[in-house]
Amino acid sequence: MTLAPDTDAQRGDAGRPVTPGSWLGWVSTTDHKRIGLLTIGTSLVLLLVDGVFALLMRAQLAQPEETFLAAHLYNQLFTMHGSGMIYTVMTPFAIGLGVYLVPLQIGAPGIALPRLTLLGYWLYVLGALTMLAGFATPTGAHADGWFSYPPMADSVHSPGTGPDLWIVGVSLAVTGSILMGWAVLWTVLRRRTRGMTMLRLPVFCWSMIATCLMVIGSFPALLAAMVLLGVGRADPDVFASNVWNIGYQHIFWFYGHPVVYVMFFPYLAAVAEVLAVFSGRRFFGYRGTALSLLVFAALSMSVWGHHMFATGQAANDYYSLTSIALLVPAGVEYFGMLGTILGGRLRLRVPMLFALAFVPQFLIGGLTGIMVGTPVIDYHVTDSYFVVAHLHYVLFAGSAFGLFAAVHYWFPKVTGTLLDERMGRLHFWLLVVGTNLTFLPMFALGYLGMPRRVVTYATFDGFGLLNLLASIGAAFLAAGMTVFVVNVLWTLRRRHLGRAEPAGDDPWEGHTLEWATTSPPPRLNFPADRPLPPVTSFAPLLDRRTGGGTA
Amino acid sequence: MRRHLPAVLVAGWGVLNGLLLVVLAIYRENTMTYWLWGGVVLVLQLFALAVLVSSRARPDQHVRYRVPDRGAGGVLPGAVGLLLVGLCLVYGRWLLVVAVPLLMLSVALVVRGTTAREK
Amino acid sequence: MSGWSRSRTSDGSDRDDGQAQRGDGGRTVRQRHVFGTVFTLEAVIAGGVFLVVLAVLAWSLLRRHARTTERSERPRVEAFYVGALAAFAVFLVTWTAWQNHEEHPAAPREPLRVDVTGFQWCWDFRYPRSADHRRVTGTCKGKDMPTLVVPTGRTVQLRLTSRDVIHSLWVPGLRYKMDAFPDHVNTFTLTLDRAGRWRGRCAEFCGQRHWTMDFWIKAVSPREYDRWAHGGTAAA
Repeated sequence: MTLAPDTDAQRGDAGRPVTPGSWLGWVSTTDHKRIGLLTIGTSLVLLLVDGVFALLMRAQLAQPEETFLAAHLYNQLFTMHGSGMIYTVMTPFAIGLGVYLVPLQIGAPGIALPRLTLLGYWLYVLGALTMLAGFATPTGAHADGWFSYPPMADSVHSPGTGPDLWIVGVSLAVTGSILMGWAVLWTVLRRRTRGMTMLRLPVFCWSMIATCLMVIGSFPALLAAMVLLGVGRADPDVFASNVWNIGYQHIFWFYGHPVVYVMFFPYLAAVAEVLAVFSGRRFFGYRGTALSLLVFAALSMSVWGHHMFATGQAANDYYSLTSIALLVPAGVEYFGMLGTILGGRLRLRVPMLFALAFVPQFLIGGLTGIMVGTPVIDYHVTDSYFVVAHLHYVLFAGSAFGLFAAVHYWFPKVTGTLLDERMGRLHFWLLVVGTNLTFLPMFALGYLGMPRRVVTYATFDGFGLLNLLASIGAAFLAAGMTVFVVNVLWTLRRRHLGRAEPAGDDPWEGHTLEWATTSPPPRLNFPADRPLPPVTSFAPLLDRRTGGGTA
Repeated sequence: MRRHLPAVLVAGWGVLNGLLLVVLAIYRENTMTYWLWGGVVLVLQLFALAVLVSSRARPDQHVRYRVPDRGAGGVLPGAVGLLLVGLCLVYGRWLLVVAVPLLMLSVALVVRGTTAREK
Repeated sequence: MSGWSRSRTSDGSDRDDGQAQRGDGGRTVRQRHVFGTVFTLEAVIAGGVFLVVLAVLAWSLLRRHARTTERSERPRVEAFYVGALAAFAVFLVTWTAWQNHEEHPAAPREPLRVDVTGFQWCWDFRYPRSADHRRVTGTCKGKDMPTLVVPTGRTVQLRLTSRDVIHSLWVPGLRYKMDAFPDHVNTFTLTLDRAGRWRGRCAEFCGQRHWTMDFWIKAVSPREYDRWAHGGTAAA
């Protein structure tokens, strides 16, 4: 048992040291920074794997009546791409970022419940591997899409062990996310340092509160859905009744919509932090943004049925009401971001580029979100490429850009070294071109009548040109991601060889407490010989720099 | 009130969920959803209660911490054990022969607290 | 707006209809009309919002070297935009809900009833009230696509169900779809005022040949429809 006497005077106590590279030290670590890094690293690797699935799909769809992939393989690919990205990439990365950053930002030496957090990580890894293991079974991996409606996903219509492994894997992965969510929420509520009141929490911490509340509230519903699916696979008679078919959709989407915001808030907040820091000023409308995040999160629990407008079995008016109401808190957050950069002195470094691109790109996802939240529009565009375009603008053009902003922004804190700026810019521009070239044509495709989850389309449908454009865009994305991987590996290699220039503790003139410690931070986060700066507002380091107090 | 803001926040968020649930009931929806969402509101209130109990027991902003690092060696075997229990449902109960000893080992490691110290 | 139907009518087999379907946004089909109105309005608003945000971004970028303001809270401005957003949301909610109800009026007393059953992987259309219980189905392989024939000007009630998994009946040209569930019947009505032919497809993933589950919906004059319903093939 280690006792840390005080946050600003933590002395290392006795204990057998483990060499930094020791694998045992990593697999059984209780250091939130290591657990966070393991989570982030794992999800980045899976991002590449699931990204390759998408590239294969784009190759298949580049031309009409293509026969590059067989239908069953294509179905496996879109299922593993979608479910992999949602359950094992964007969600764990978002929560893992919280595991790493929240204790640092609130001035705590560690996370609450570290062993539970570690268990969460391992369940997530094993779950992700189990899902992918389906490819090794004779009938292949699961192939019914990330929401896998019964009766399509029952054992009569989808025989084989691939779907069973998928159910087990998804259950484990989501359990892991729930455990991590609990730990992060408890930490931010109960482990704040002296002076860190709730209204001095950084915006990122507020986003994690809202995120983890949604995790606690909605993620167990996915477990329930998986249990229902598992029971139905054991006894297909269950899904002979419409009660459980429509019931599954309700239970699934009760998880399935809040998760979208779990995959959004942390990235939005990372963007908010980056915008504030690189504008050299405090985030605009802090209180309004914190409140709007909570309202947003509560509303997000009530909108699940907008995925079911076309089922003819949902209270469409209610879901339309709550979905459209989302524009109020979302608008408040947008005004906050715009108010921050408007009149600021902007420094256009790579994290800032990603954050700036997030603003208009996510907006496309958000505005089309209002459209698909309107029943009379949704009847036409749901389950079409319009929805595919919309969700990729939210999750890729939006959240993934926030993800890359976060990686570039916090990389020097985590490793002590900056990522290469030139490669970062190349990565950025390739991604901007690739993203819009890939996903913009999909709006038109959906409008013109291309359904999602089709392995190919007839020549006379006339979808060839737009699909070709989208596939060319995907090639840009592949190039951009290659640059990113090279950048990270090359920088880490240089750091390993001792050739990298040290970034210093605070290379960006940050606002929040993680920039007050060394890069990388010591085991207990804040060195004993350096007292924490007084927490005077949600931007304590900015206060210290400007000598100002509240604002 | 200030001191218990975290608990109030969680409870308030739960109440907001409850209000939205009431509005849903006005519009009428599948009964299953009332149970599901109602259960969630309950879980949130229990969580708020836990936060309240915790902050009444100890001050809101901590200055002293326990950083537990014992027994973390038991986590990975435990996770693998849970995976095997899950796979039992796919491949049959015989996997329990491996899963149960692993889970016991995990519990033993957690209780006995042998692990590599990190510092 | 007319892209879809034009590409269909460029298909040679359609020309003998004489009246090619033009997507003129006119009140030819209720669903298409409602969709057109709401989509246009929301798209215009969305475009406007997008341009404003872009302009603010561009302005900030152009003036990025000159710091103009230090304030990070402006309660009045914030209250104003919350109010504006809320008012806009209220308008959008009520107006679109009203449009949704316009799109789903109560069925008239004597609609033409068609029982539609989706199955892996094609459709089955039955006319239970026609003289000899007309039924159209197919395999959805190659050219063997079933045609749902309906008379113009008369309200058609589609009763939708499925024999196996969930399918979704989507007619992109009419801007409408509805899911077909097993053990459940969904109903909607359709009135086609003009003769023409539209492509329909399955929108809910339903397995191996999901992508081939296409059909035609064809509106013909009432007289021609009667002939067809009594066993004729003229319209098919």
